[in-house]
Amino acid sequence: MPLLQARSLTRHFGGLAAVSAVDLSVEEGEIVGLIGPNGAGKTTCFNLLSGFLRPTGGTIVFGGEDITGFRPHQVAGRGLVRTFQLTTLFQDMTVRENVLLGMHLHSRQGLRRLLFGRQIFPPDEVTGSDEVLEFTGLAPQADQLAKNLPHGHQRILSIAMALAARPRLLLLDEPVTGMNLEESGHVMALVKTIRDRGTTILLVEHNMKAVMGTCERVVVLNFGLKLAEGTPAEVSTSAAVIEAYLGAGLQHA
Amino acid sequence: MTAALLVQSAVIGLSIGSIYILMALGLTLMFGMMHIINFAHGAVYMLGAFAIYYVYFQWGAPYFAAFVLAMLLLGAFGYLVERSIYRPIKGGVEPTLVALLALTTLLQAAGYPVFGTLDKHVPPVFSGTRNVLGVMISVERLMIIPIAGALVVGLYLFINKTRMGAAMRAIEQDKEAAALQGVNVNVINGLAFAVGFALAAAAGALMAPIFKLDPMMGEQPLLKAFIIIILGGLGSIPGAILGGLILGLIDSIVATALGAEPAFLLSFVFIILLLLWRPTGLFGHAL
Amino acid sequence: MPSNARAATVFVAVVALLIALPFVGGDYYIYLFALVFINVILAASLRPSLTCGQLNIGHSAFMCIGAYTSALLAKNLGVPFEVSLLCGALLAAVVGLAIGYPSLRLRGVYFAMVTVAFVEAIRLIASIWVPLTRGNAGLSVPKPSLLGMSLATRTSQYYLALVLMLIVLVILYKLERSRLGLVWKSIGMAENLAQSLGVDIANHKLLAFTLGCFFAGVAGAFYAHFIRFLFPPEFGFLLATNILVYNFVGGRGHFAGPVVGAVFLSLLSEPFRGSPYETIFFSIVMLLTILFLPGGLITLPGKLAGLRRWRPTSGTYAPPASA
Repeated sequence: MPLLQARSLTRHFGGLAAVSAVDLSVEEGEIVGLIGPNGAGKTTCFNLLSGFLRPTGGTIVFGGEDITGFRPHQVAGRGLVRTFQLTTLFQDMTVRENVLLGMHLHSRQGLRRLLFGRQIFPPDEVTGSDEVLEFTGLAPQADQLAKNLPHGHQRILSIAMALAARPRLLLLDEPVTGMNLEESGHVMALVKTIRDRGTTILLVEHNMKAVMGTCERVVVLNFGLKLAEGTPAEVSTSAAVIEAYLGAGLQHA
Repeated sequence: MTAALLVQSAVIGLSIGSIYILMALGLTLMFGMMHIINFAHGAVYMLGAFAIYYVYFQWGAPYFAAFVLAMLLLGAFGYLVERSIYRPIKGGVEPTLVALLALTTLLQAAGYPVFGTLDKHVPPVFSGTRNVLGVMISVERLMIIPIAGALVVGLYLFINKTRMGAAMRAIEQDKEAAALQGVNVNVINGLAFAVGFALAAAAGALMAPIFKLDPMMGEQPLLKAFIIIILGGLGSIPGAILGGLILGLIDSIVATALGAEPAFLLSFVFIILLLLWRPTGLFGHAL
Repeated sequence: MPSNARAATVFVAVVALLIALPFVGGDYYIYLFALVFINVILAASLRPSLTCGQLNIGHSAFMCIGAYTSALLAKNLGVPFEVSLLCGALLAAVVGLAIGYPSLRLRGVYFAMVTVAFVEAIRLIASIWVPLTRGNAGLSVPKPSLLGMSLATRTSQYYLALVLMLIVLVILYKLERSRLGLVWKSIGMAENLAQSLGVDIANHKLLAFTLGCFFAGVAGAFYAHFIRFLFPPEFGFLLATNILVYNFVGGRGHFAGPVVGAVFLSLLSEPFRGSPYETIFFSIVMLLTILFLPGGLITLPGKLAGLRRWRPTSGTYAPPASA
């Protein structure tokens, strides 16, 4: 059984269908890419899967459990954790605090501990956050404020925070958008390592090169509908996909 | 309740509802464009009423001249508030809301030393009563309905048929895109402030001959306008009109049956229930 | 840590001065400072909710509930002060829970509007429900007592207010410095991110809000037995705005902000307390602060020090501190 299975996922805004009847499944251990021209419904799809939007139709099953209509924190609690398109961070907190908040999910604290504990974070969480910082290469900047990091590092920090929540499935929303070639290569390598350590990945990305080089399977959306699905090689030669992208390209020109 | 009393409450509800609509329209327009709630709206209503008191009653200008002058002056004040308060605060919605609150309390409190502490009354502008479906209603109250209606139609035409109105709609859709297309967002926001303030001033000016005037008189209509825009969905102009009519009717029927203060309490209870049941308002605007 | 040690020193010194005050100051100062303590409790109790990004413009409603509950219990049923205070605070918290539950799930502006409507509704209830509250004729209240002893002197009441304020401040400070405080802060900074990391933002907001209501109830209960006369219009929208103003003028970036704001504004506005000029003063200070010192008074020393050190050649740009 797939780790994530969405069946005929649908979302209307007013009379407009942003996503209609999309079937999507992700197997344990895969890296799947979700691509499509602007306005194809990728981000809406992400918001539906992570509970930030309620579907108007369809079901979402994650790890064998129906999570349709769950609220975002409940979805995250099941192990499906997302990042955001823009660098959404706790800007006025340090890098370490950001990661520690990512661990919120796994912490259990009683009221007594909350009020009278000597440290805010128990030692095991500090160790855990150190590990994540080390792994993502942010350890040297651990005590800087998030807002003072360069853009590329901020994007990595948002991945690090999601990792701290120990997800089974990580949803990455445009992880390399706005990065140069070297930076995006580094992030994509990181994504592969994360997968190799046992986390399944579904990512939305504009940067086709990054998607084709990293993903094992690609799902193409257009106008809220699933247009094609397959390996990067299959998809990139599909006539329908080329037309969708070219058509969109012509409209933009 | 007799049929006559019902008709009377309905007509009075319609005229009160028209006032609420004028208040709510400005609020909802400004919210749609800038995502702020203008707490100073009630204070502007109060200033509109006092403008009538001074210009029409004390200085003897014709009522309609005073009415237009009140709208123009307070519209200009609205533009000024956008320039000096809304625009300089880049810190987001919260500080802006608090600054508008401070403006509200400032205008209200300053009203006491400036206008005096005694209640003021404006003598009737339209005298007499008319027979409406067998019930006698004062012309003063009846006249509110066509005047407010004309302003609503005017606003509708302004928003839908003029370039500036188109710019407002563009900002409401997407501020960045509007700016890219050459809309001067600052000026248009200022215009929205001006329009909102002018409508609130008109509401106050229409009510001046009916209620007594005091610096706190704007609070009730402001709270009513809040209820209306929550009812109609924030940012929705048709929602504000429909919400205003509904609340005006409920209000006057309940107020006739129970008295004014319990009626206000009831509308508050109504809003909590509404929020529980339909947080996006009756007409489902995006939250 | 040196800055912590300095803050602790300042805190101890201020408390020592406040303990000494009745020995050096007259009744007027004792009375005035007790009122300031009430304002400090009110301001600090609004902070958790503000930290979560909730603009509560109706905080005085909960003070009103605490005040009337405690006053009526003591007056009609002879309940001892410590019990009536607790009951007042609890009822304020329960009402806060009931009102917060539906409205905190909504976007911030809806919440702000609901709180404005709510504070007026509570004020109306207090003035309409004449058989219970005596309405706008006002309600007289017995003196406070503690463990059966009546606290008849202003001095004893002053110490009671001081102790209450310190207890409330310590609890709120502990909470702010705990994990819970960090989660609240994270909700205020980026609500959707906090959610995506598994934070149940609705429950956390509700907790912060309800706690604030509880302590506002405490302030109200003490106020009732200290002023000994309750008058519904006092608890309206204006007082609620003042509580918000304490927080913004003092500064939202630090726990001391609301405390500084409440002390500063209460003392400076004292010459015209109760007149429209008090409100005019508050409003102008508020507007000036938001426009020219967005971080509030607590950022003033840092800014002044920065000015002194400022050299035209140094090109480093320091982004303004924001809460």
